[in-house]
Amino acid sequence: MTHSSDSVLVLGGGIAGMAAAQTLGDSDVQVHLVEAADHLGGNAASWACMATDECRQCGACLADDMAHQTGCHKNISVHLNTSLDRLEKTGNGFAARLTSGETVTPGRIILATGFTPFDPSVLSSLQFDNQDKVITTAGLNQMLKTETLTDFLGNAAQPKIAFIQCVGSRNRKLDRDFCSQVCCKISLRHSDKLLHLLPDADITLYHMDLQTIGKETRCLAADLSTRMTLAQGVPAEILTDPDTGRLRVIVEDPDAGTRVARTFDLVVLSIGMSPSEELNRLAGQLNVRPNHWGFFNTPDASLADGIHVAGCAAGPKDILGSRQEGWTAAAAVLKELGHDPAQKADVLVWGDGHKADAIARTLAENGHTTVCFGRGTASDRLTFMDPGRILSVDGTAGRFTVRYEQDGGRNTLTCRAIIAAPEPEYRTVADQAALSGALDLTVFASIPAGKLPEQIAFLLDYFAPETKTGSRLALNTALEARNTGRKITVIMNKMLVHGALGQQMYDQARKAGVKFLRYNAPEDILIRKTDTGFSLTLDEATLPGTSVTLHCDQLVIPKVPVPGPGIDNAARLLKQEKDREGFLQSPNVRHRLTQSPRKGIYFAGPAHDDVDDTDLSAELDGIMADLDFPGPAQNAGVEINQKKCAQCLTCLRICPHQAIFLNEKDRPEIVPNACFGCHLCVVNCPALAIESTSSAPDQVAAQIEKGQTVILACQRSAALAAGSLALPDPIRLISVPCASSAGVNLMLKLLVNGAAKVIVAGCHDGNCRSMNGSTKARKEVSRVQTTLPGIPPDKVSWHSVAANETQKLARIISDTRISSKDL
Amino acid sequence: METAILDKDTELSRLLNRLTQGDNIDECLTCGICNSRCTWFDQQGGPVPRQIVRMAVLGLEQELVDSRMLWDCLICNRCTQDCPMGIDMAQVVTRGRSLAAAKNQIPEDIQKGIDHRLAHKNVNGLTTEEFVDTVEWIDEEFADDMEDPKARVLHDQPDCKFLYLPNPRELGVNPLHLTAMARLFYAMKETWTLSSDHTDVTNWGYFVGNHEVEEQIARRVVETAEALNIDTLVLSECGHAYHVLKCRVAQLLGREPAFRIISMPELCVEYAKKGVLKFDPTVYPYEIAYHDPCNIARKSGGYDAPRELLAMCCKGVRELVPNRENGICCGGGGGILQDSDTTKKRMITGKPKADQMRATGLEHLATACLSCHRQLGELSTHYELGMKVDTVAALASECLVL
Repeated sequence: MTHSSDSVLVLGGGIAGMAAAQTLGDSDVQVHLVEAADHLGGNAASWACMATDECRQCGACLADDMAHQTGCHKNISVHLNTSLDRLEKTGNGFAARLTSGETVTPGRIILATGFTPFDPSVLSSLQFDNQDKVITTAGLNQMLKTETLTDFLGNAAQPKIAFIQCVGSRNRKLDRDFCSQVCCKISLRHSDKLLHLLPDADITLYHMDLQTIGKETRCLAADLSTRMTLAQGVPAEILTDPDTGRLRVIVEDPDAGTRVARTFDLVVLSIGMSPSEELNRLAGQLNVRPNHWGFFNTPDASLADGIHVAGCAAGPKDILGSRQEGWTAAAAVLKELGHDPAQKADVLVWGDGHKADAIARTLAENGHTTVCFGRGTASDRLTFMDPGRILSVDGTAGRFTVRYEQDGGRNTLTCRAIIAAPEPEYRTVADQAALSGALDLTVFASIPAGKLPEQIAFLLDYFAPETKTGSRLALNTALEARNTGRKITVIMNKMLVHGALGQQMYDQARKAGVKFLRYNAPEDILIRKTDTGFSLTLDEATLPGTSVTLHCDQLVIPKVPVPGPGIDNAARLLKQEKDREGFLQSPNVRHRLTQSPRKGIYFAGPAHDDVDDTDLSAELDGIMADLDFPGPAQNAGVEINQKKCAQCLTCLRICPHQAIFLNEKDRPEIVPNACFGCHLCVVNCPALAIESTSSAPDQVAAQIEKGQTVILACQRSAALAAGSLALPDPIRLISVPCASSAGVNLMLKLLVNGAAKVIVAGCHDGNCRSMNGSTKARKEVSRVQTTLPGIPPDKVSWHSVAANETQKLARIISDTRISSKDL
Repeated sequence: METAILDKDTELSRLLNRLTQGDNIDECLTCGICNSRCTWFDQQGGPVPRQIVRMAVLGLEQELVDSRMLWDCLICNRCTQDCPMGIDMAQVVTRGRSLAAAKNQIPEDIQKGIDHRLAHKNVNGLTTEEFVDTVEWIDEEFADDMEDPKARVLHDQPDCKFLYLPNPRELGVNPLHLTAMARLFYAMKETWTLSSDHTDVTNWGYFVGNHEVEEQIARRVVETAEALNIDTLVLSECGHAYHVLKCRVAQLLGREPAFRIISMPELCVEYAKKGVLKFDPTVYPYEIAYHDPCNIARKSGGYDAPRELLAMCCKGVRELVPNRENGICCGGGGGILQDSDTTKKRMITGKPKADQMRATGLEHLATACLSCHRQLGELSTHYELGMKVDTVAALASECLVL
């Protein structure tokens, strides 16, 4: 392995830039991370936590978590308040002068300049500059983060709040004919959060086509549809009521079929993404050519040699997508710099669909010896076990032992990593007798152009909300058929315009004469078979009171994936819980998109959602980056005292990461590289045989002084939130590896040592990296409160505080101090 | 509930498919922006612009022809202003109207006006003799008023610098307006004439999307002006005429006219800048509000000249909010004012404008279109705004320093 001594310059300290810097730094590459602002984290650093009673997977807290890790990484030099001043190409790299006056000579550059939120002042009719109650998503985030929203709303009991989507997106006139990808998801989460904080709020979300992309968004939208108004059609103008001064928009009332005025206390403009101003400034210097939108997400954009792009600089995407792209860009740079691993991990791919096949082929092409339990054509480094059945999976990161059955015989194989991509089940036309004669979209899409019937109707959103794959394939197929002169109608509830070109393709299809009909719910459609095909009568959503009838020779309906036995089976054998939606994916953002809580096991593609080819390829790049450059093993700070161990195996059962195994002496042993150091085993070991080297209860309890209020803060959430707070004297904050390490034992020791109160603060449910840490901590607090005599219940308390909820932590501290004084 | 059979090969889709690129209704994104931009307002009601477009897109021709929305639309194009696909609502609605007209579903007054315009050269139905009598009477009065025998109001004079096309009201209910314009021409010290062959500036073919009629009227204007060999055609203050003759004439005729076309306020500004015209700003020693006629402003880009001229005649121009591209229709656009059955309705369509006028707190407002002028005046009375309404050129004439 040849290691180049080249350093890497990362431009932009947002999510993508930090992810790239960490991956590079973990491989001992020197990184210069240059950030124009005075803090790391980019836009995400100013976003609020979207957790309600549980984590909503927004990922905003990662900005603080990653900033902390990046800031103290030994191989990363962070240059804040700094930009690139001048760049020159040298023989094998670059000479970059920074605005600080310093010159660095990186071998490669990663462009991670992120995005700038669209400025709604451009659209003067929205009154953003004139009305203080017209705010943007960014403004709402700010108020949620600082907990000032209720005051801002004048403590109104039932505030009426509107979200207006697509402000600065999907607008050809503004030369912004792209979807910003994240805004619908953000506004739905915002609505959910607002309803959590203000249960009587009356919320309306105006959208063009609600982009219910991803299973959480589909489920959240379905849940919210009964608690708020989701209205198709966006107002472009906000008026002021001349009598009351309140905000007013004119919209179509779908029931009355006329326009009506609606009054609101607050209007949130869901603003799209623009390329960062920093990139505009730097493009010339870097010799890169973004596309006409200013991004790099279409083929006409080009980068220069030695320069990679990641995150929203490439094109609009969410936090987890940006992080994944940061890792991938770093892996590409590491390969260019000669850091390719000497030995590629051998991988097992689990899944019998064409996506699993594609995953296996890509891995083999990238040098991984791959075994796929699915169907496909074997090739160099690629074997298929077909038919093969996995019986059990043992072991942990780096060495899995898989027992399987093939041709009646049972065998064992070992591998370093497992990628689970089992097929879900599908709801298809075949299941519906009433639809016999209608074709599944994938079947229809394979019909040659010459054999297409004259009139074709595509029916979307019929079995369930349409997926990315279904809607894109329908749009593609419709457009192609239209271009051969067929009469095409697409009947839909909404059009998903994901991806860089989604909006342009939709525009192109309409321009080509594909007709689009809209309906509200499947019961608004009556499908009848005729001698020649189908006759569909539906209530057209844009023309209330009018139903239209359409005849077609062929009706085509996409299939919709739902969780099924394949996923159940993989979850069982991999000892993984399914997520809320019944798929196989870690429910928390620390492992998402593809990692599992169990190191070396990944969930890709169909295992966790409907993903399109672009997503799948990005996921796979992320997995391969992690396989090739896993970073150094961490010291978990936990040891088993074999003298005390009673071999009860509680730890094996309880470890959320499957990081404890029985060694050849039948004794439990911790695999350092698989252990995340959560301490769940420490607090659960009945024999107290598992000891913490970093956070033993005696050591922790000894740190405090009599009369102090102690906050036991999870180091990945509450402790980070406390980072910038000046804590008053009687407050003592102690960072612990996981909230779950605050067991009854530790809390009692603190109280015995004179703590006035103990506050345990950790991740929101669902966001604990070790899955159940928060639940465990809450239970432990409740045990102290309810089962131990002589301890007043308010002596101990539990609070969920995400890394970006500094204001919430400050409030908790302040409330505690007030109640102490009252006593 | 109606059930419409989707049939894409309707007359309407044939008409709309002839639209230029960018006006293609098939591109409608159904985003609903247009619905929020329509100012037709009675707390609720009025046309739903997206429904109009969707009927057209889906070929629901009969539904559209039968729809009251077609004639309620003020064609102000405020919705078009923010349409992300640039769909021109005025074109969609007027094409729809042309189909309705073909089925005799057209307001009676509009049809009568068009018939008069084609038969008698003006919508009032004034005969050539009546026109000549009126002009000659004004001519005599004018020389007396100006105490100058060279101060004339002539007709059919060849080789003049200007041909003036009056609004029908100047030859009917409001001849003083024509005298006021004559004062401005007099002060410019240029030759000018009226034409008995072509006595009015209007072109209602535009309102009803009848391209044949629109083209026929426009051609007659151009040919008359060319026959008189004039240098510049001066338009009376009229919104739709401004739009047709400034923006659509070349397309209608397939060629550019051999003369320049300018509106009266624009001409005044030009002569004021040359130092020929002088105005006394102390005649109105207060601020005057300005209303943008949709056809002149949003639809044709004529924002500045009327404001410049008004600013010379008073203490300053007060803007209505919103204005310019986002200006609100007076409530009389799209031919609704020309239909005598709509007086009550026009007070509803004009409510947002009345609110805007009241919000200025001023007592005087000016505009650059005689149709807006009439509607705004009626709004002032109906809503008891106590606001005097003038046209900009009329005010300029009053403030003229001779």
